Order: sequence, then structure tokens, then C-alpha cells
Amino acid sequence: MNNKYMNPYLAGFLLGIVLLMAFFFSGRGLGASGAVKSALVYGMDKVAPTHTVENAYFGHYVADDANPLNNWLVYEILGVIVGGFLSGALSRRLKLKIEHFPGISSKRRLVFALIGGVLFGFGSQLGRGCTSGSALTGMAVLSVGGFVTMAAIFGTAFAGAYFFRKNWIG
Amino acid sequence: MVEEIITSGRMTPEVDPILHIWGWEIPLYLFLGGFAAGILFFSALFTLQNKEDRYSMAVKVLPLAVPVLLALGLGALFLDLSHKRYFWQLYTNIRWESPMSWGAWTLLLVTPLSIVWAASWIEDLFPKLDLRYDWLKQAIHMIRDYQKPMAWALIVLAVILGMYTGILLSAFNARPFWNSAIMGPLFLTSGLSTAAAAIALLARDHAERSMFTKIDLVLIAVELFFIIHLFMGFLASTQVHIQAAEMFLGGEFTVPFWVWVVGIGLAVPALLEILELRKRGVPTFVPALMVIGGSLMLRFIVVEAGQASRWLY
Amino acid sequence: MGPLVPNEVIGANWNFLIAFVIGIGFGFVLEQAGFSSSRKLAGMFYGYDTVVLKVFFTGAITAMLGLLFFSLFGWINLNLVYVNPTYLWSAIIGGVIMGVGFIAGGFCPGTSICAAAIGKIDAMIFIGGIFLGVFIFGEGFPLWEKLYYAMDLGAPKLNQVLGISGGFFAFLVIIAAAIMFWVGEWAEKKFPREEY
Repeated sequence: MNNKYMNPYLAGFLLGIVLLMAFFFSGRGLGASGAVKSALVYGMDKVAPTHTVENAYFGHYVADDANPLNNWLVYEILGVIVGGFLSGALSRRLKLKIEHFPGISSKRRLVFALIGGVLFGFGSQLGRGCTSGSALTGMAVLSVGGFVTMAAIFGTAFAGAYFFRKNWIG
Repeated sequence: MVEEIITSGRMTPEVDPILHIWGWEIPLYLFLGGFAAGILFFSALFTLQNKEDRYSMAVKVLPLAVPVLLALGLGALFLDLSHKRYFWQLYTNIRWESPMSWGAWTLLLVTPLSIVWAASWIEDLFPKLDLRYDWLKQAIHMIRDYQKPMAWALIVLAVILGMYTGILLSAFNARPFWNSAIMGPLFLTSGLSTAAAAIALLARDHAERSMFTKIDLVLIAVELFFIIHLFMGFLASTQVHIQAAEMFLGGEFTVPFWVWVVGIGLAVPALLEILELRKRGVPTFVPALMVIGGSLMLRFIVVEAGQASRWLY
Repeated sequence: MGPLVPNEVIGANWNFLIAFVIGIGFGFVLEQAGFSSSRKLAGMFYGYDTVVLKVFFTGAITAMLGLLFFSLFGWINLNLVYVNPTYLWSAIIGGVIMGVGFIAGGFCPGTSICAAAIGKIDAMIFIGGIFLGVFIFGEGFPLWEKLYYAMDLGAPKLNQVLGISGGFFAFLVIIAAAIMFWVGEWAEKKFPREEY
């Protein structure tokens, strides 16, 4: 395999098959932000157990001494790291770097990455899932919420593209 | 009043004790013992092949760590003993039927020999080192003359030590999951693989690194073969053994074993090592650390599962 | 028959192993598709690279049709497949916030993890941001608790709301996707892309 990317329609088809297998085996779709939440709650529980249990949002993940890392999404994301790494190795793309549009500095890229991450983290909790968990999975099961979230994410990103154009196209 | 029917005297907690007396100490000891055995094996093997300069990390440098690893392992074992003051009695009682006794004696031979072995490479590694005392210089020169016979002895002892880490467990007939003849070879292979990964991780020379990556790949394949046969053996055995295997095939150890040991500890690093040998830019440390972590995990899980497995009736 | 784990065809203890294997497939496909590059992902919103649109919609449609056919053949009981609940306001506002995050950060959570796996430092920072965002949400939960639970519609399916069959609805989605793919291909020709 060379270092070109896969044909997008083929990749999409394979993505659909993976998602279908998740439904067929486990009766649930893919996700990502949920695993971050589990890891966060696990860490919080180690640092400040009382505070975590009492938190209205995080509390029930550690109720009755449950381990938040015993979670489907945590193992799925572990797999994503392995699968991504294998794919990167296969296509010679393993490289430590900050990727950005040449017109901006690395620092600027990192600042915006951090801001984007915070917004995505917050939004994914409010929207009960991110692009994978809510939009992609939700659409596949024809969930109203999935379509709404998908339209809101992509619609806003399109609408906001103009304001962030310096970061991406100069 | 709630009526309770006692169907068996086994409900008394003392009758069927769930053995849960081994914490982290024993698995760590087994890991370090196997690791040390692996390093000594490769060091001795390539000395006998006259490749000590070609594979200098394996032959000369890593053996320096062996006495430390063995000391740490014995320290962990010591912490686990209930009667610490009677530790020395392991050496006053030779009991042919006790694997503990065998292990203690093997370690008693391996530990000093590994120190002498490491010392014999000191001058190669630090040519500018001034040893100050003439008797020390002479002693080191003397042991250098005996490197080849020492290497033969070390190969044999390393295999025994590596095997012993598994046999220690399989000798427990009362714990069905440990009671498999494959445990010895499996732990030996795993120890060798750990050592090969560590050599690949630390070697600066490209030829040495790729040689030990290849060796590790073969060892992983052998390990996977042993694991499959371990389960085939259990499933073809008595009901207790089938139940012991089912702890891993749908039971509580399914995920830790197949994800962490077989997946992240063996299969994935094997794939990465293949890609690394094909020059796909995989950093050596990634598969190497996965292998080392996986083999530590293997011991923890096997020790834990063995204690949970028991006879039915 | 399916879903196999909820139907207890496969024991529950296998579930996380399945999750791990499915995750490997997920990560592998995302990376092969190029979702490990923020510039490729952001290209979607400037028209120079519409790979996100193509992969995302092909994936959703494949899974959607797969589920419909599996259900038709009796291979899967759709009642046992988890359908995300819809709380309208939080879905919209959450989506809007995520949309801004997307164009600012150039990743979504899944793609950032995949990108971090192959060494993208910007993706690692993005993941750090997700942790922070989730933390802020949880710590300030009472402030937006009302919004979080507002307009609970249950777990409706869009075709039921529209009063059409799942199959016909999927057909409409395919038509819509085909039009979008056509626009995407046109946009990629119109907006030049440099190699990166």
C-alpha cells in the first residue's frame, strides 16, 4: 500500500460496514466523546472521589464504586488508537508534527486546536454525543436527534467557515 | 422466618478457600525472573556464536541489568513470604518434589553466576576504566578465560529459570488453570520475547535491532501457538479444566486476556514489527514496550486467574 | 438473531473485546480515509476537499441500508438497537457549539484520537481541549441542566415523524447524498488544492 489516501467512497462504505457490525454485534453505534468522559471521570475519581460522586453529571458513573473505564466506548477508542496507528504505519504516515496551513504559525494552530477541543467537548455533552456518537450513529438508526445534530454541526461549521478562513486558506 | 437449606458442608468458608493470597509480588517476581533468564540466554547464545561484538547490547550491556532484575525479583518474593525470618530455610531443605526448592536453588546458582558474567564484560564496555586493584584485574582476566564454559552453563540455567517461572504455577494441582504442562514453555517463551524486545528497544546498532525484532517476531508466533494449545488442552480435559478455560472464553478474564495480553501484548506488536522490518517508519519502542507490558500483564492475569479457578466437587 | 450481545447469542463478557476489534476497524478506516489530517477535514468547509462529506454520508447510508436489510431478513431486531434519545434544544445548541469547535479546531473527537495516534501534536492538544470542555460541562452542570433536559421527544425516528417507511426514507437520503456528492466533486474542481 502506498501513502495515498483511500478512495473516499470505498472508505465510507467500509466505515458503514464497521458501524453496521457494531449494531449487529453489540446493538449500539460508534462513539468517541463518551470515552473521553469515562477517562475524565476515572481521573477525577482518583483525585477527588467525594467531589466526583457528588457531582450531578459525573456522579452516577462512579456510583457504587463502578469503574468508569469498564465501558464499551473506552475499549472501542483503545481500538481506534491501535487501528489508526496500524494504518499510519502501513501508509508511512507516522510522524510527530503539528499540521497547519502554512500561512499561520504552529502556535496559532495549537491555540485554535485547544479552543476547538474545549467547544467540542462541551457541545458533545450537551448534544449527547459527538460527530460519531450522535450524528453518524444517529443517522444510521434514523434518529431525529442524529439528523438534527448532524445538520447543526455541519451547518454551523459552513456558516462559520468565513470567520476562520485565515486559519485554513489564508 | 427465612428457611435456609444447607445442602453441603462445603458452604463453610474454610472448606473451599478461595486462594487469594498472591498479590502483585509473585507475578512481578515471575516477570523479572523470566526477563532475566531471557537476557542471559541471548547473551550466552551469541557469545557461543562469537557474535559478541556484533550484538553488543544483547551480549555485553544488558547482562549488567540482570543482577539488579534478579535482586528486585527476589525482593518481591521476599515481601510475599509470610515467615520472612525463615527465608534461609529454603536453602537448608533440599526437597526434590518441591518446585519452590528447585527455583530457590536455581536462583542461588544463577544470581552469582550472572554477576560474574556481567563482570567479565566490564573491560569491553569501559576500556578506560581503571580498576585500581591488581587482584581485581587479575580476577576479571581469569573469568574472561572461562567465558565459553560459563556461557554453556548459563544457557542451561537460563532455560531452567525461564521454565521454572511457569512450572512453579503448573505444579499446583489444586488450581486447574495453572495445571497445564504448557505453562513452563509459555513462560519461557514469553521471558525470551521480553528480553528480545528489550534488546531491540535499547540497541543502537541497526543490524542488532532488526535481528532481535525478527527473533521477537518468531517468539511471539510460538507464544500464540502455545496459548491456543493451552486452551485446546483445557477444553479437551475434565470439566474443571473446561471451567478454568471458560474464565477466559466468556468469563471475567475474557477482556483483560484477549485485549491486553493477546491483542495489545502480542498480535498488534507482531504486526507492527512486521511493518517495522519493512521500513514503514514504525518507531521500535512502540512494539517493544507493548511486548514488555504484555508479558507483565500475562503473568498478572495468569496468577490471578489461577487463584480464581478451583475444583468443583 | 442480532444484535448478538443484547440477544445473548454471545456472552456479555465478549462485548468489550468486540468493541476493541470494531474500534480497530473504525480507527483504521478513519486514518485510511485521511481523517487524521485537520487540513483535509477543514477542506470540507472551503470546498477544496470534500472527503468528509463523501466518507460520512457513504458510511451513514451503508449502515442505514445494512440495518434495514438485516432487519428485513430477520437478522437483527431493531428494537434492541440503541436509538439516541432526542432532546431538541440541547441537540441543536450542542450541535452549534460543536460546529464552531469543528471549524476552529479542525477535528472532531473521533478523528482527533485517530490523528493523535499517528503523531499529530495539534490533535493531542485538541483532545486535551475535549477533556477540559467535558470537565467544564460537568462542573457547571446545574447552570445548563434545564437546557439539557428541555424538549424531550423520546427516541423518535425521522421517518416516523415524516410518516413514511424506513426504506423510502433511506431512498430519499441516498438521493440527497448523491446530489451532495455531485456538488462536492464540482467544488473540488473549482477550488484548487495544494498537496499536503
